[in-house]
Amino acid sequence: MSLAGSLMLGLLLAWGLGGTVWLLTTRRYRVTQVPRFAMDLLGFPVELAQRLFGRGGVPYALLLPNMLIFGLFTFAPMILNFYVSFTGGSSIILFERPWVGLSKYVDIFACESYLVPKTCSNAGYNFFTGLYNTLWFVGIQVPIMCAVALITALVVNRDIKGRGFWRAMFFYPVMLSPVVIANIWNWVLHRKGVLNAGLDEMTGALNALAGLSGFDMVMTVLLAIVLMVVTERALRAGAEPSTAWTALFALILALLTAWANPLSLLDLSGSLWLGLALGAGLVWLVAAGHRSARIAIMVAAALAALMLLSIQFSTVFDMGRYRPNNWLVTPNTGWPFFWLVFVFCWSHMGFYMLILLAGLQAIPRDLYEAAKMDATRPLRAFTRITLPLVMPTLTVVIVLSLIRSFQIFDEVYLLTGGGPGRETYMIVQNIYEVAFTNSQPDYGQAAAGSVLMAVIIAVFTFFQLWLTRRQSEL
Amino acid sequence: MSRLATFLTRTAGTPDRAERFGVTDLLAYGYLLFGVLIVLVPVAWTFFSSIKPERAVDNFDTRLLPYAQIEAEIEGQGPKPLWVHTDENGDEVLVFKAGPTRRETEVARPEAPDAVFTVPRSSLAPHETISVAVENYLDPLLKRNGQENFHFFTYLYNSVFVTVVATLITLLINAMAGFALSKYRFRGRLTFTILIVATLLIPASIILVSLFFVVWSFGIFGSLWGVIIPAAATPTGVFLLRQYMLTIPDELLEAARMDAASEWRIFWRIIIPLSLPALSVLAILSVIWRWNDFLWPLIVLISDPRQHTLQLGLTQFAGEFNTDFHYILAMTVVTLLPITLVFVWLQRFITTGIATTGLK
Repeated sequence: MSLAGSLMLGLLLAWGLGGTVWLLTTRRYRVTQVPRFAMDLLGFPVELAQRLFGRGGVPYALLLPNMLIFGLFTFAPMILNFYVSFTGGSSIILFERPWVGLSKYVDIFACESYLVPKTCSNAGYNFFTGLYNTLWFVGIQVPIMCAVALITALVVNRDIKGRGFWRAMFFYPVMLSPVVIANIWNWVLHRKGVLNAGLDEMTGALNALAGLSGFDMVMTVLLAIVLMVVTERALRAGAEPSTAWTALFALILALLTAWANPLSLLDLSGSLWLGLALGAGLVWLVAAGHRSARIAIMVAAALAALMLLSIQFSTVFDMGRYRPNNWLVTPNTGWPFFWLVFVFCWSHMGFYMLILLAGLQAIPRDLYEAAKMDATRPLRAFTRITLPLVMPTLTVVIVLSLIRSFQIFDEVYLLTGGGPGRETYMIVQNIYEVAFTNSQPDYGQAAAGSVLMAVIIAVFTFFQLWLTRRQSEL
Repeated sequence: MSRLATFLTRTAGTPDRAERFGVTDLLAYGYLLFGVLIVLVPVAWTFFSSIKPERAVDNFDTRLLPYAQIEAEIEGQGPKPLWVHTDENGDEVLVFKAGPTRRETEVARPEAPDAVFTVPRSSLAPHETISVAVENYLDPLLKRNGQENFHFFTYLYNSVFVTVVATLITLLINAMAGFALSKYRFRGRLTFTILIVATLLIPASIILVSLFFVVWSFGIFGSLWGVIIPAAATPTGVFLLRQYMLTIPDELLEAARMDAASEWRIFWRIIIPLSLPALSVLAILSVIWRWNDFLWPLIVLISDPRQHTLQLGLTQFAGEFNTDFHYILAMTVVTLLPITLVFVWLQRFITTGIATTGLK
């Protein structure tokens, strides 16, 4: 048992024995008052503080255990981190660690080009690979998760049936442990797992459907009817075109553009993007209440009809043979990274959704009523009422999820182990492996990495708070 | 018919707009349904896979229900799986494979094992029945069939011990700190508050290495206390409780002081009972955090298998017997079951509690 350990034991003994003696000498307890005695014993230091220093000493005694743990296990390590990062060797006794100055940092920064981790020393290679992967991960995951959480919160905040049920369902993955999540997704994403099997069956069914005679005609007629109905709805709704129906129309337009592939006439690819751009433009025109919205919808409808006639559906829906994908293992496909982002969003989205939902519910209803009186369009109500008022909550959510996703470790470690190669190797895994799994643990190196990581997180957080300082003051 | 026609041709702008099921509602429900499917299908699939027999799991049987091939005792050859052979006339015969599987496979009927005949492989279909593979769960739990290395009840005990003790300590000391910060005016109150905010911004993973040094020098490295104590004081908890305790009227405290109650008794007899709602939210949060904790227990407890928590045990299990998917899946379900039950039981309470008070 170490020095600190025996000190703790002594303290506990003093508390138990000293407290018992002191309580029994100053107060009287009946035999039936054992629970009260236990409670008094638990708070004996507080009682003692009150006796010795009066009521002024009580808050300090009450704060003591909490601050002791914060001090010993949060603040002390924070400062100790700097010290450890300046020492070398693999000893775990602090005083036996030789002082090496800045050499651990020099190791990390021994690069020819900081943007290419391969040109670094070994330590630098691991650190910068982890850092860049983490930055990519944060940059992709945080906006996606915040957007999805906000959309989900907006939908759940609507006047829908079974709101509690939906809310609970989205929150459920937050309760699951990373190990369980990793096992579940490993099983689903296995090469012979249910996702590949499902995709295989779907492709097969689509191919069979596309092979049927008359498929082209049926599909064209069907889509033509759908297009007509949707266009009619979009145009007829009230005095101005309806945004929701236009969104549906835009979706169909984007799909038609992707299938008809008009850009192939010019030997260009990317018709899907063209279609999405067209659809987004249309939705924006309608949502902003532009004067030419009605005409734009009509033009788009004519365009869609033209494209519909040119599409060979049997080739569009002929997917060819499906090759099972080894989602988490195949290198240079981006799939492992994609699934990490997906699983991380899957497991954490519910929490941020709840916080945003609380923020949304705090917005007074009369604002929307007033907007309705003035015949404000929903999009305008969203950008002028909802977004500004939910901004403080959104800022909190962004900062929290930023800090959280910077620290991603569990999911990666259990799903991909940082692989394939180093594609999903994150910075915390670097720290963990350098300090705890190497045969020669290099605590100094890991501490230097942690210090650098702390600096980066702090810069990000303050930059974020500075960017949104006006909103967060609300 | 006319009602259907009106239903189909109704347009927005008519007076009944508020009650009608518009396209926006359709999109909203579609989105929700899609999201819930994404959340639930993987979990449900894991559960349904975990009750399949070993052979079905190893063959990645993607049917929902647990089908097991029926085996029959063949004289002189032991148990063999049965197949249904359909001949050209559509008659079905039960057979077993007498040789290796080729395009023309040798089979024989169980009644006459020596009368071997060849049939095309495509005419054979497994002879199956639905059976729940309870042994997936019982083998690791009861340490049968070579599963001696998975000490489920030790892990469960460790997990429960860590969760319960850490939650109790967290509740007690956070409530004390919250009480001090909300009901007393003293020098340094602002400093203490700022210090606690600061810990909210220090992520646990950047102090990993030096926390290891601290915990090691306290002699609690490698024991469950090394997991319990460093995480016991939570800034979230202090804030949550402080905000809640601010709403308790000071007159109650003054009245108790008139009756010469000591401060500790005021805390214990007045503050604690009155802040039970906030305490229970913190308790739930703390249980989730401690039960699901992974990285820190991995560092502190990994070297001693007898100290593993359920999460660590499951990781080791999945790593060690990488091929025994049926056991891994069953143990995954066992691990997620308690937290799922707690969630189903308390879901309304948890979600509203976190939405109104909890932040981390």
